[in-house]
Amino acid sequence: MGFLQILTYLSGLVFVIGFAAKLLKYATMPMHVRWELYPIPHEGKEWGGSFYEEIDHWKKTRHIDHMAQYRFMVPEILFIRALHEDNRSLWYWSFPFHMGLYLCIGGLVFLGLGALVQIFGMAPENSALASLLQSLTTVFAVPGYILGTIGVVGLTVKRMTDSGLADVSAGIDFMNLIWLGLLFVTGFIVWLQDPGFLVSRAFFQSLITFGPMTEPMGAIHVVNLLLFIGFWAYFPFTHMTHMVSKYFMWDKVKWDDDPNKGDAGMDSKIKKYLAYPVTWAAAHVGAEGGKKNWADVATSNPWENKDQK
Amino acid sequence: MRPEEISKKTEQLVTINTEDLPPLPYPYENYEETPITPLKEEQKKKWEHSLDGVSALTLPKPETPEEEERLVKAFLSGLGKLMTKENNWTFLQPLMLSMEYCAKCQTCADACPAFEMSGRKDIYRPTFRADVVRKIAKKYLSKGGNILAHFRGHDIDLNWDTVARLAELSYRCTLCRRCASVCPVGVDNGLMNHELRKIFSQEMGIAGPEIHEKGSVKHLKFGSSTGMTTAAVADIIEYLEDDIEEKTGKKIKIPLNKKGAEILLIHNAGEFMAWPENPMAFAILFDAAGIDYTLSTELAGYDAVNYGLWYDDVQFARVALKHLEIARDLGVKKIVIGECGHAHKALSVIADRLLPGAQMIPRESSYTLLNEIVKSGKIKFDPSKNDFPVTLHDPCNVVRLMGIVKPQREVLNAIFPPGRFREMEPHGVENYCCGGGSGFAIMSSGNFPDWKRLVSGRKKLSQILNAFQGEMDPSIRKMVCAPCSNCKGQIRDMLESYEVFEKTGIWYTGMVELMVNAMVDQKKPFLEWPGDEDDDD
Ligand code: SF4
Ligand code: SF4
Repeated sequence: MGFLQILTYLSGLVFVIGFAAKLLKYATMPMHVRWELYPIPHEGKEWGGSFYEEIDHWKKTRHIDHMAQYRFMVPEILFIRALHEDNRSLWYWSFPFHMGLYLCIGGLVFLGLGALVQIFGMAPENSALASLLQSLTTVFAVPGYILGTIGVVGLTVKRMTDSGLADVSAGIDFMNLIWLGLLFVTGFIVWLQDPGFLVSRAFFQSLITFGPMTEPMGAIHVVNLLLFIGFWAYFPFTHMTHMVSKYFMWDKVKWDDDPNKGDAGMDSKIKKYLAYPVTWAAAHVGAEGGKKNWADVATSNPWENKDQK
Repeated sequence: MRPEEISKKTEQLVTINTEDLPPLPYPYENYEETPITPLKEEQKKKWEHSLDGVSALTLPKPETPEEEERLVKAFLSGLGKLMTKENNWTFLQPLMLSMEYCAKCQTCADACPAFEMSGRKDIYRPTFRADVVRKIAKKYLSKGGNILAHFRGHDIDLNWDTVARLAELSYRCTLCRRCASVCPVGVDNGLMNHELRKIFSQEMGIAGPEIHEKGSVKHLKFGSSTGMTTAAVADIIEYLEDDIEEKTGKKIKIPLNKKGAEILLIHNAGEFMAWPENPMAFAILFDAAGIDYTLSTELAGYDAVNYGLWYDDVQFARVALKHLEIARDLGVKKIVIGECGHAHKALSVIADRLLPGAQMIPRESSYTLLNEIVKSGKIKFDPSKNDFPVTLHDPCNVVRLMGIVKPQREVLNAIFPPGRFREMEPHGVENYCCGGGSGFAIMSSGNFPDWKRLVSGRKKLSQILNAFQGEMDPSIRKMVCAPCSNCKGQIRDMLESYEVFEKTGIWYTGMVELMVNAMVDQKKPFLEWPGDEDDDD
């Protein structure tokens, strides 16, 4: 096994651990108070209404419209609908950038599948399936490289020239864009040199089999690979993992309209939280440096009966 | 302006010039605006004002460098506590998501009325204050925060200027959350502002005086933020009964502290003082519909406001728990919240997870109940009595933050002749705040009222004027229905400062007043327009 393979495994490991840690961090935070924002697609009311519009709503069965939620989510994820509607000039660049990324990830999946079938003796030249996987790799990856590059260039220029964006951008934002841009460009060059992704598939195969590399890898390919595995390991530690925030912020905050009807799970959480010690220091809180808990401070009224008129 | 510039040593970071503000619609396109009144020299010496020359907080300047340092440390300590589950379980998850994930795309900026109407001053961008908080947290509270801080984009200086400006800046956002509704990654800059206010209040004892000392403290001390005591409320209600008799000829007894009533109705107590016709109209409607309800004269039981919603979780919880306790003691089946937007959001939604489920009392919006009354046919309405153009203001707390959109429209369509009701654009969940959200409607310290007039209320004034274009002749009386006490206060102040009724014939009221005005058995008009009393003389 070569150095590049070891680096790839390591970066994969960092990615998995980093990403899992991030998911775990948010998933284990306490249930918060409700802070939803309408419209909530699963309410199924296109005008943005909620069950609060119904008389005695707590006595009624709540209908959750899952289909409406998917109708909202799919265009949101695939086409970045929010940006299309509310920030079109940025969407022109952000959309190709994200679509480029999705396509490249799709290409990578087909490359991996191609490597897998190749292990079982099915190569593009002798198997229809392997040949299909090879074509799909190209069909996804190449437009991905092109769209991604267009997006990176557009976003970089926009970030530099739009004063609203330039004022909030830092070196790291440009570095992230350029890093991904180089990844797309070198990927494209690799494809020009090896239109059938022969070397890439062989590398993938060596990763799966822990075996040696059967095809020599060119210099630009090595650069592309290093850029990729570096980014893979770095990614979980950046705000670019915003699919995590999207899941939590949408599903667990903006759309979390679960009423408190005394179910055991919610009750036990609330009881636990009310016992948390409070250390807020302002005098009116009266937390006494953590001697009081939430139940104590919330049920106290420091002003009651004093100066009552 | 980069967020880092907030720590710059300068007398004033930004100045609002009236010529930079977006023009208002006809007949105000060439209106000569009165600029923000500069603070007097002695006020400038006393109060922090270096953000934009405006003081909403009348925040005293520290007297010694040691005091400055102590305050800066207190801020940092508060920021740290905000990020712990023990001190902030209530909002930790949404806060941390918003702390970490901003893509700096500025989509939120165009949605924010404060930013737009300030003439796009960078300090009012939804991201500006949020970015400052993020940068301070990253540099001063995270491990290795100093390493490559400039390259990583959080090289900010934390000094007293920064903290003082942040305090004022946290009172330049109405918490309308329009920004959050457009953010492509789900970041909530309204929430970031809410949390920032909490550091000031819960750790440093700094808050808008009208929402803390004169607000939630008075509420818990006397029973109402208006200062109305439990002893006074029953007297006031007696006066209301007399007024009802005078206006309707009906003798209606408003039930007080009635054990076992179906409903506890809680108004914003500001209505008793400023718009008594609102609780009167509720009494008339509930009586005519045969609703079994009661008002309470218990401490805080007659005032639905919960100013803690805007700045302090502890004060919030104290008031919300009082409301629930009163309802429990009376044995009512549900609480109905009067025309007060933030009370809707506070008690129905946010307070929902403060107690185990069995201890919760169902809460319902008066809009929903009023619509049900209309639909039931128990009261006969004659829409021709409301034969004037009307538009509807959507209180953010009820609409975008709670999803009650249709009932108020169904009511208006039932009590107005066809074609008389027109929508503002945009409306419903995409509405704009009245400009008085997050406590602004009642905040009047320093020269802050000028900022509200010029900046935060400007979008709503534009929308109101736009809704009635083509009918601006002042002899055509036109109405803005604003079913929220806070919004009414802000809209009243805007209409009065710009002499809108005199110039265009546009006035404002709540929804129940319009309903009673349209009741078939209501002989005299219930609505009062400015100048009506003079006509009587
Ligand atoms: S829209 Fe959201 S991601 Fe974009 S700058 Fe605003 S808060 Fe950040
Ligand atoms: S909550 Fe409203 S006022 Fe505050 S930043 Fe967002 S859009 Fe602007």
